[in-house]
Amino acid sequence: MPSWEDFKPFIVTGLALGGVYALSGVGMVVLYRATGVLNLAFGAVGAMGALLSWQLINHNGWAEGPAFLFCVLFGGAITLLYGVLFGPPLSSRDPLVKAVATLGLALILLGVMDLVWSDKARSMILPTSNNGFEVSDVFVNYTEVIAMGFAIAVVTFTSAFLRFTKTGTAMRALANDREITATLGVPVRRVEAAAWLGSGLLSGAAGLLLSNLVGLDAATLTFLVISSLAATLIGRLRSITVTFVAALVIGLVDALITPILSISEYRDMTPFVLATVALLVLSGRRGSALTGRAG
Amino acid sequence: MSKCGTKPGVKATGTPIKLGAIATKQPGTDFTDGVNMAQAYFDCVNDNGGINGHPIQYKYYEEQTNPAQIAGFAHKLIQSDKVVGVVGGFSIIECAVDHKYWESLGIYEIDAGIAPECYGTPNSAAPNMGPRYSSDGAVQGVVRAGAKKIAFDQSNVPGTGYIAAGPTSVAKSLNVPIQQFKDNVPIQDANSVALKLVQAAGPDGGVVLNFTPPEALKILQAAQQQGLQDRVKAWGCSTPCNTDFVAKALGTQWDGKLLVNAELNVTDSADPQDTLYRAVFNKYGSKVSGGLGSFSQMGFDMGQFTTQALESIKGNTYDIKTVNTALKNLKGIKTGTLCRPWYYGQAPAHIPNNSDWTTTPNHGKMVIKDGCIPISAADPGIAQVRGIEQKDPGLTSPTTNLPPLAAGS
Repeated sequence: MPSWEDFKPFIVTGLALGGVYALSGVGMVVLYRATGVLNLAFGAVGAMGALLSWQLINHNGWAEGPAFLFCVLFGGAITLLYGVLFGPPLSSRDPLVKAVATLGLALILLGVMDLVWSDKARSMILPTSNNGFEVSDVFVNYTEVIAMGFAIAVVTFTSAFLRFTKTGTAMRALANDREITATLGVPVRRVEAAAWLGSGLLSGAAGLLLSNLVGLDAATLTFLVISSLAATLIGRLRSITVTFVAALVIGLVDALITPILSISEYRDMTPFVLATVALLVLSGRRGSALTGRAG
Repeated sequence: MSKCGTKPGVKATGTPIKLGAIATKQPGTDFTDGVNMAQAYFDCVNDNGGINGHPIQYKYYEEQTNPAQIAGFAHKLIQSDKVVGVVGGFSIIECAVDHKYWESLGIYEIDAGIAPECYGTPNSAAPNMGPRYSSDGAVQGVVRAGAKKIAFDQSNVPGTGYIAAGPTSVAKSLNVPIQQFKDNVPIQDANSVALKLVQAAGPDGGVVLNFTPPEALKILQAAQQQGLQDRVKAWGCSTPCNTDFVAKALGTQWDGKLLVNAELNVTDSADPQDTLYRAVFNKYGSKVSGGLGSFSQMGFDMGQFTTQALESIKGNTYDIKTVNTALKNLKGIKTGTLCRPWYYGQAPAHIPNNSDWTTTPNHGKMVIKDGCIPISAADPGIAQVRGIEQKDPGLTSPTTNLPPLAAGS
């Protein structure tokens, strides 16, 4: 069993990774609450934004700042486009159908990325990764700090937005009943579009951070959404705070298992095990996660 | 460009000689650079007289590590496509799936692969040495750099036990303890993986990676971002890291610090074979998406070896028997892309490439750090082929300098 000194650096890496899982999870929850869509393309959109940024920097002579901004905006644009085109026709369908439709988008984007960029090694290092500080012998770079700080900021802002703004209130109303909300005169499509856009911007930001914290690789970034998905399920696709905490716990447990060699190779199961346990506990009390939106 | 064939500038128009191959292409693993470069070499041959006027017609299938699919392609190549030779393939499991079939037909495959059967069976010979022996070389390189303990990490895929056995034997022979790890790919928590390996190796130890370039890059960059590069004596990597893509992506912070076992020469060497490789790549290699690198070098070598064999056939009959006899008889082929003369020959196992280079990044390029160094015979697989070479010195005595002397060259 590793010593406490051995575990310390893994707390930093776990919190950083958990922070970005949280960022993704919050984006997915906001969208689900407003539209009923579990966006499985969240990771693929971020991955494509990150690869486009890499392309712009390395082959089109763009400066890093505008290229990074492009990544975030691309996430917002492609997600909004999908939401506007496919959101209304699918709005009355079962949540599972809506989720599978986004899986289609994910696979299309993954195919395009594979075609354009193949699987060759490439990297995009954020300037913030080259500097950092030490906390009791553990090096923390600024990207890790940003990942965590940004996640906290997003959770705080989103919670306040949903509670105190008109659009946020409309989103919460949509979460309860789309039909009744529409009859009350809420511009449903505009509110849903705002949710698609917000979620998309978060996917772009998460893609940018994850391409640095995890690696600039289409398949990895696309399927990393599974860990975030586990956090959203623990939050029953409703609670942003629970999703945030669950994502941090998943990131931490995953990282802390790494130096325990006897179970290290099974650590990829962490999100599923935690989600399963949480759902088993919650389902006995409050119904299943995917019906949570209506209830 | 005349050196590809015997009649410079004359297009081959005779009946085609059909050759085939199988290559892995799936998300995360694209081995088609090898077959596409072999195709490029054959195109060059066809534009320069072909084989006694016969063009080489090359057909390859892309597989997704599905044994049934691979076996189906093998049968299709023989029964439908009527190929007379199987050369240039590059697959994760093709050797394991098909070697019995090739043996039953008398096919002597030239392939670049990963599975043990590519190196340990009588009807398969490769220009590369595969991940096990390349990992052996990487361990040797890191120990030469002063490491007193090794943390060896590889992808958690089928066959890890076979690969791990090599570095274990080599480290034991060098009296260096070794700790084995395997990580699921794609790696999602590279920071934690890098930390784990550095902790395991310790300040006097070394970390050796056996991953595809993107996965190795994740770990190396994670180490860099956490300031872990200098927390161990040395970092090593098996051949996949030997690409300028990796050197460029890593930046200068790893210059001289990462030791890569390179089964083939650097791609910008002044050797005539590498010069020809680059020329063929530039003119015919538009489909080689990975650019200049070990994978396409292997395809180039396989194209050259095959052409050499076909040109040695007397008469004008190119069928399974004549073509595969010619392939099997290849020996002592001296090429600058490999450290030692390459051979096929009649043997229970084939690892003709068993001495190689160590490279390191230098300003976005891989450069040679150490010249040709034999892979340790402490690995039983290497000991076996050294025994075969001792029994038949003709296998490694240079008898042929590639390319075949061409008219006008």
